[in-house]
Amino acid sequence: MIKTTTITFLLAGILAVSSNAIAQQKTNGGAHDHSDHSGHGVNQAPAAAEKQQTEDHSGHDHSSNDQSALDHSAHDHSDTHDISAEQHIDHSAHDTSAQSAEHGDGHHHHHMDHDHIMDHEGTMIMGQNLDKLPSSCKSISEEVEITVRAGRKYSAKFPGTAFAFDQQQWHVKPCSKVTWHFVNEDNIRHQFMMHGLPKYLYKYGMFHLEVTGPKTVTGTIIVPGSDDTFLVHCDISHHMEKGMKAQLVVGKGAENIPSIPGVTPYNINDTYEAENLPKVSDKAEQSAMVRQITSFTNNNFQNYGMMLIGALIGLLCIPLLKKIPLRTKKAD
Amino acid sequence: MPIRIVIALLIFSLLSSAAVQASLKLPETVKVDPAALTAEPMCDPKISPAWREAQEIDGVKIAASPGCSPDNPAWIAAAVKGTNHVSMDTLMKTGLSPDAIIKTDDLDGDGDPDRIIIKLEIMELNGKSPDFPGLVPTFDIAPGVQPGAWVFAPKTSGMSTENFESVRANPLLRLPSPVIRVEVGDIVQIVLENTHYFPHSIHLHGVDHPFSHGDHAGQDGVPQTSEVELMPGGRRVYEFQARQPGTMFYHCHVQTHTHLAMGLAGMIVVEENRPNNWLQTLNIGAGHVRHSSVAVRENFDQEYDLHYHAMDKELSDIIQKYNDPRLIARDMNQRYDITDSTEDYYTLNGLSYPYTLRESLIIVEPDQKIKLRLLNSGGESIAVHTHGHHATITHYDGVEHNPVAQIMRDVFDMAPAQRLDLKLETVNDGKHSYGEGDWLIHDHREKGITTNGMAEGGSMSSIVYKSYLHDSGLPKVNHFGIDLNKFFTKEYYERRLPVWQDLDEWSSLGSPGGQTGLSAQEQTSLLNGVIGLLIGLVIYLIFAKREQIKQSAIAAVSRLKGAKGSNQK
Repeated sequence: MIKTTTITFLLAGILAVSSNAIAQQKTNGGAHDHSDHSGHGVNQAPAAAEKQQTEDHSGHDHSSNDQSALDHSAHDHSDTHDISAEQHIDHSAHDTSAQSAEHGDGHHHHHMDHDHIMDHEGTMIMGQNLDKLPSSCKSISEEVEITVRAGRKYSAKFPGTAFAFDQQQWHVKPCSKVTWHFVNEDNIRHQFMMHGLPKYLYKYGMFHLEVTGPKTVTGTIIVPGSDDTFLVHCDISHHMEKGMKAQLVVGKGAENIPSIPGVTPYNINDTYEAENLPKVSDKAEQSAMVRQITSFTNNNFQNYGMMLIGALIGLLCIPLLKKIPLRTKKAD
Repeated sequence: MPIRIVIALLIFSLLSSAAVQASLKLPETVKVDPAALTAEPMCDPKISPAWREAQEIDGVKIAASPGCSPDNPAWIAAAVKGTNHVSMDTLMKTGLSPDAIIKTDDLDGDGDPDRIIIKLEIMELNGKSPDFPGLVPTFDIAPGVQPGAWVFAPKTSGMSTENFESVRANPLLRLPSPVIRVEVGDIVQIVLENTHYFPHSIHLHGVDHPFSHGDHAGQDGVPQTSEVELMPGGRRVYEFQARQPGTMFYHCHVQTHTHLAMGLAGMIVVEENRPNNWLQTLNIGAGHVRHSSVAVRENFDQEYDLHYHAMDKELSDIIQKYNDPRLIARDMNQRYDITDSTEDYYTLNGLSYPYTLRESLIIVEPDQKIKLRLLNSGGESIAVHTHGHHATITHYDGVEHNPVAQIMRDVFDMAPAQRLDLKLETVNDGKHSYGEGDWLIHDHREKGITTNGMAEGGSMSSIVYKSYLHDSGLPKVNHFGIDLNKFFTKEYYERRLPVWQDLDEWSSLGSPGGQTGLSAQEQTSLLNGVIGLLIGLVIYLIFAKREQIKQSAIAAVSRLKGAKGSNQK
């Protein structure tokens, strides 16, 4: 009975995991992004955006839950929502700094040029593109809003990593206008840095959001009209190497980017070996009355083995031994 | 026929023995062509010579620093005014985050800010990448020498590398961890934002700090006594208001036996309280202090921070062997045995010779008083020797030594974590100074002048008088016929360049070429083989022609007999 139940549980588990994996890849497709989009709709005023964003997050979670990304439901985002709502930064909210009380210094930096916006805490938007159409596009195909969460906790589902985004790939249609809400849930800096965009629109081919958490930063790009795949990562030393890496797939996408947790394998792999770790079972065997007996047998196993071999040799030698005294007798 | 063969073989063996005679001449010297070397410019061309000049930025006076790699003046301006006060233009030249150094509130009304917030991140240098076989982000302590390291870095903005195409680290991410300067009475918050993938902490060694703080809990940085480890992604505030000045030390106290040697160690100076004392809160890369405190300027012409450190290759290799943090943790915490370890890299201000020439020269003029602050963050005692000078020890571990009991020495022994303040006087009296020159300053444990055992390297630098300083910022040595170019090649530290090959024209101590002919042993064994073959052939011939030999022998005998017989006849 017990065996059959465990086996059925195991089988069910395997099935669930595999369907999860398959579904998760599909999740990242258009349907999911659409739900985000519809959940967000028409907001420009920061106050509205804050509320909308909170709702949007819940909508986002549910939609992904429906489609299988179960891990999302495990995380409670409510605490970071509050903070991100208060300190939410986007292009329109930027000029009026509402955070002057924080350091009490009254001196605030707001660096702004065409494609580099930075506030006094280092929250940064670089390479934003709100209206310039790529040459390969006649018009914007759709407007999408995507919320990206970044933090240590998202690395929990990828053993051997330290930081991660909540998702590892996003799918958008060619020529779509994508607004990214980058939610940093850690207490350190993280970046959402995209590479390989057309250089005539984006300086160095880069789009870059950076923020010290817990806080949100928002920026918009218009993706090119051809199928392509863009690297997204955090460039803080070893954040990408230790898991904070993803890709944006435009249309059917191009070649996959390596070493994205759960999506593509590493180019260079570590070698692993099982370690001799203490186990509870080691301890259980040594408990109570059993201990004396088992420890005796354990400790003397070698001796017993040798004894057994000795006995066998002895048995085999019997005929020989028998002959020896006979000969001596004869000799007598 | 057989006789002919035998003769041929004999001739062959004679010839081969003649060949043995010819190859007794030793191999020629092979000289490495300088064009085959990866030569680096002696001065880093990325650093603008304009940075060397005395200048004023946003009202901050910055002293001249004639070495070839002086600190970025924008860093100094931002460190003095705070990233919250400096102009946006200057801030953009620093690469610092706008909240890296926040200075506010003149609490005692003496004209300088007294609330100081310093934000530090933790960065890995020369770690493994799962994407390509190289290291990232790279930081060379000497040409081609890239030990894995961790540093406290001032909070930066943007990328960890120079740019998207480069794997070289952002100049703010470097060894050593930056020197921190605060004033007695300042309310200082050091905010640690743990951007690294391991837990860490800060212990303020020697700095007057409360063991526990009401708002921020434990403050001593020790996971066994005052606080739990600060996990990746976390932030912790260390707040203190120091009552005593002095040259102190800060370092990570998590798994200290490895984390300290990995580079999580820096100098922290508490300066005496003076009016209008705008301090250079961070001296990134240590070395020359281009905006000294009021108290230091009262007594000295110049000030240098000299941070001596040592690293073990076996330890620093671990982060280059694995990418998985669990494997790195396993090897560092459970497998690395510091009691079996040896230090391999000796650095001064994060660099080894010859890079110390770029940025850690002590550049002096006659009759100056120079304040040197020394810290040893290595695992062993060091013995720093100043050629041509005796300096006075004014402070031990940040505490002033009784002025009448102060002594002068030319070797300064420093236990691990020890600090010494020295007064170097360039008075040419045969005691303080023997006169102008390019005088070495080096750790006199001889391994301290090597890089992984290869001399010249290690923490060696120079006290250079301006009359011996070249316009490039490097010491003038070519008038003695000295050429330092070979040290600026990675092949030298790869041990592939014969050290003495250029000492004379025919490279008498250069590298011998490979054996052209056969070695003596091979020759004898070959000769033995030939002889064996000959003997074999002879035996074979005797065997094969035994009938003939017999007959001819009989014939010969009979002939002899016949002869005898005839004689008898």
